[in-house]
Amino acid sequence: MVKISVLQHDPSVHLPARPGDPTPTTRNLDPLMHPFARARERNRALNAAKMDRLFAKPFVGALEGHIDAIEVLSKKPGSLSTVASGSWDGGVILHNVSERKHIRRIQGAHKGKVSGLCFAQDDRLLSCGVDSNIKLWDATPQDDPIEQRPLSVYPGKSPFNSIDHHRSDPLFATASNIVQIWDETKSAAISDLTFPTSTETITSVRFNMSETSVLGSIGSDRTFTLYDIRTGKAERRVIMQMRSNALAWSPTFPTTILLASEDHNLYTFDVRQLNTPTKIYKAHVAAVMSCDWSPTGLEFVSGGWDRTVRIWKEGQGTGPEVYHTKRMQRVSSSIFTADARFVLSGSDDGNVRIWKAKASEKLGIITARERAAIEYRESLKDRWKHDNEVGKIQRKRHLPKPVYQAAKLKRTMLDSRAVKEERRRKHTRAGESKPAAERKKVVIAEQT
Amino acid sequence: MDPLLVKADVVKHTSLPKSLRPTSPPPENVPKHKHIKDLKLRTKLNRQAIHAARSKALVEDADLLLTGDAGKMQVENEMERTWRIGQDEIVQGAGQEATKGRRELKLDGGPYRSIYSRNGRHLAIVGTMGHVATFDWQTGTMHAELQLQETCRDITFLQDQSFFAVAQKKYVFIYDRDGVELHRLKSHIEPTRLEFLPYHWLLASVGNTGFLKYQDTSTGNIVAEHRTKLGACHTLAQNKHNAVLHLGHSNGVVTLWTPNLPHPAVQLLAHLGPVVGMSVDPSSGGRYMATSGQDGVVKVWDCRNWKGAVREWTTRGGGAELEWSAKGALSVAVGGSVNVYTKPSIQTPHPAKAPPPLYLTHPIPHRPLTSVRFCPFQDILTIGHNAGLSSILVPGVGEPNFDSTEADPFENKKARREREVKGLLDKIQPDMITLNPDFIGSLAPQTKLTTAVNDTHDIPFARLPRLERLRVQGKADDTEAVDDDDDGGEGDGDKSGKTQSRAEKEKRKMRGKGKSVKRYLRKQRKNVIDPTAVAIRAKLEKHREEKRVARAVEKGQMEPHKPSALDRFRRP
Repeated sequence: MVKISVLQHDPSVHLPARPGDPTPTTRNLDPLMHPFARARERNRALNAAKMDRLFAKPFVGALEGHIDAIEVLSKKPGSLSTVASGSWDGGVILHNVSERKHIRRIQGAHKGKVSGLCFAQDDRLLSCGVDSNIKLWDATPQDDPIEQRPLSVYPGKSPFNSIDHHRSDPLFATASNIVQIWDETKSAAISDLTFPTSTETITSVRFNMSETSVLGSIGSDRTFTLYDIRTGKAERRVIMQMRSNALAWSPTFPTTILLASEDHNLYTFDVRQLNTPTKIYKAHVAAVMSCDWSPTGLEFVSGGWDRTVRIWKEGQGTGPEVYHTKRMQRVSSSIFTADARFVLSGSDDGNVRIWKAKASEKLGIITARERAAIEYRESLKDRWKHDNEVGKIQRKRHLPKPVYQAAKLKRTMLDSRAVKEERRRKHTRAGESKPAAERKKVVIAEQT
Repeated sequence: MDPLLVKADVVKHTSLPKSLRPTSPPPENVPKHKHIKDLKLRTKLNRQAIHAARSKALVEDADLLLTGDAGKMQVENEMERTWRIGQDEIVQGAGQEATKGRRELKLDGGPYRSIYSRNGRHLAIVGTMGHVATFDWQTGTMHAELQLQETCRDITFLQDQSFFAVAQKKYVFIYDRDGVELHRLKSHIEPTRLEFLPYHWLLASVGNTGFLKYQDTSTGNIVAEHRTKLGACHTLAQNKHNAVLHLGHSNGVVTLWTPNLPHPAVQLLAHLGPVVGMSVDPSSGGRYMATSGQDGVVKVWDCRNWKGAVREWTTRGGGAELEWSAKGALSVAVGGSVNVYTKPSIQTPHPAKAPPPLYLTHPIPHRPLTSVRFCPFQDILTIGHNAGLSSILVPGVGEPNFDSTEADPFENKKARREREVKGLLDKIQPDMITLNPDFIGSLAPQTKLTTAVNDTHDIPFARLPRLERLRVQGKADDTEAVDDDDDGGEGDGDKSGKTQSRAEKEKRKMRGKGKSVKRYLRKQRKNVIDPTAVAIRAKLEKHREEKRVARAVEKGQMEPHKPSALDRFRRP
């Protein structure tokens, strides 16, 4: 006798039990059942990369209201939508970013440019200007948005360049030709901080957010200085090749600080090791004017004299995301919003622009299936990023012609400089030692 | 706040929740990447390796969840033979649903050819006199029936049952499911055989003109036209795993074609006389090919290595139609019967030219038998012959577990539409068809070209390409990239277990005079006709002869050739 059985499929297993039920699916993971699996996956990765670029529409909107160039932007701690902007016309506007409305509009807050803005506790706003005054404003929403009276005025001796508030105490620091610490309740500065041999103009000052008594400043004599308000003096000073234009402390790594430099680069420093930067970020083709960390500490934004906004990944020194428009002028201030999803940039054309931090991110409600598809596409792009075609699509960014040409020219110049240096080394005794790494060249001197 | 507390808090909020963490212990024998100095990179690679090992184990586990039972036919003692069992007995032994597979379609206008759709649900048949029909054979619903009133030579479904192409007297025509003529493909002249490559959306045809034409059915463009230069062609088969087309010609040559090569990728002399039937084994990833010739011989070839046939035997009654099933059973329809052979014996080398042990046989009195088709995901074999079509049950040849993302016999209208769109999005470009489909995503071999002259560069370091810079700095990774997928195939290369570096391999490589020529000739096997190989072989033979003569003269065994006036008449 023989045993015979013939293959048959039970329809009740493979058809929906009741009308309206989803059709049951079966899987067989045998690779022979899935020919060309790799080729098809690559195709999907290619499509994912293309879709990413197709849907890259980062510009969300512009916040208008100023009649001159924007100088400074500041976000309110603990709020997702409130942002203050200060302009060269002396006006300060409080924006609600999500509704794109003005909460308050203070025209002529200062005579001349508003050079610094920061939020104090209890919904108040501090502003400083080149008219040597610091003013404290009420920042609560009001029926009449045009209310012109400051809560208090702190007169100073010289024009101010920057202001920053202490994280928890009612103290704030200002930058003029010296760094001063103020108490909100006192009309004169409570202490002056300065490095003994300094004759600089301080351009920016920032409190550390974890070690709240530490603050950093940058000055026009190419220095970066660290102070401690408990000792009341400058602790460290670093002199660099070129001056910095902005600084920002990392929100997640308290020892990390980011400097936006005049030499087109950004630098991250570990304040325990000030002799070399931990990373150099190269892509801008003109001076970097502003920088700000994402609240996650994994990304940061920078705005430059080259009319572009760039979004960098921490630790990845090249190939940032780049945003530009035809009408956006020199970007003098840029901040991340507190939800890390948006970036604001203030530029010389008087607009505050809202950008998505991820250019192709879909705004609005995303269903679970869509979310799964997005995540699958992300992982595909990551997996196939070394494929020539996929990688090229992912990396390629359109740049405005002047920026592109400037980058090309810069590349040529740096290359030829490197070649010249190499030839020089080859034919002199300098060639006997190893050439210095680029990171070692940034800091000229470290002083204590 | 206490820094330790802060840290614990961060860990709590950034790690995966317990329900999402893998429950199985981390796999063993995962490469540790100790040679990589960069800590970040090493951690990343380790994590990837663990993930890969874990998913591999999960895939193995998933095999246990497959529910379908393959059919089988088992004898109890050695004296019994499965081939003695007739169809009546099998039908009796099969369940009620399965008996539907045994059918006899009596039709005029034969002989008939047939093809199943990829999910095995639909059948298209064509008779030489122009009778075309497509139907769902399980429910018995007819989609279209046409009387084309002219010679029809072949039929194929396109991506699914909604379109089919017929090779008619002069051109190829495409019809939709209801039998409405959609396209007349005028560039395919006098077609004899059709094949559709589903993942590339290519319709390929060969004809009496000897041209192989690829047409993209999603865009309508002709992708490639290859002149075979071997006359009218009546045999065409596709390798489902690399989309290479196999053509059998009337002089016994079999050629393998891809759209991106203007000449055959492989050419071999398979038979004395015309090639009649051909099929590629889908169960082994396209490793074996079976051919049959008018000379009555059936041969099984190993596609990795064309050094003669693995197995060959003679059949009675001339040219045989062949088809491999998904489980690797080979059906041979010749003379007045269909024979089915099963897997291990047809693929093992056998010196004698004896047929392999028979699994099943079925006599069909209506000669000629013009097509054999296995139904996907069923134990059914459909034979086209002069009086219509016969379907027989062959237990154990069908794949029991289908995958809904690839082909689903039970799919509904919505799923079919969805799959069509997905298939279009995943369409592979025709120029990616190669003999080895796994080259995609694998590392390109490092180029050995260098700008260095005697290991010194004239170009400044700053202008060197990246790889050269790394080489100058001694940082280039010269170790061989070992892919754990192909260690099975290349394991015989070095048994020592240590992977040699490229430099070491280069050093130990055997050096000898004319090595490259010998290697070239070794690759060009004897049964592959290639004029350059033939010429080189002749030249080598001549050299050898001259050497032999010179040696003999030296030893005094032969008189040295004296120049004479008659030399001018000697053939070169």
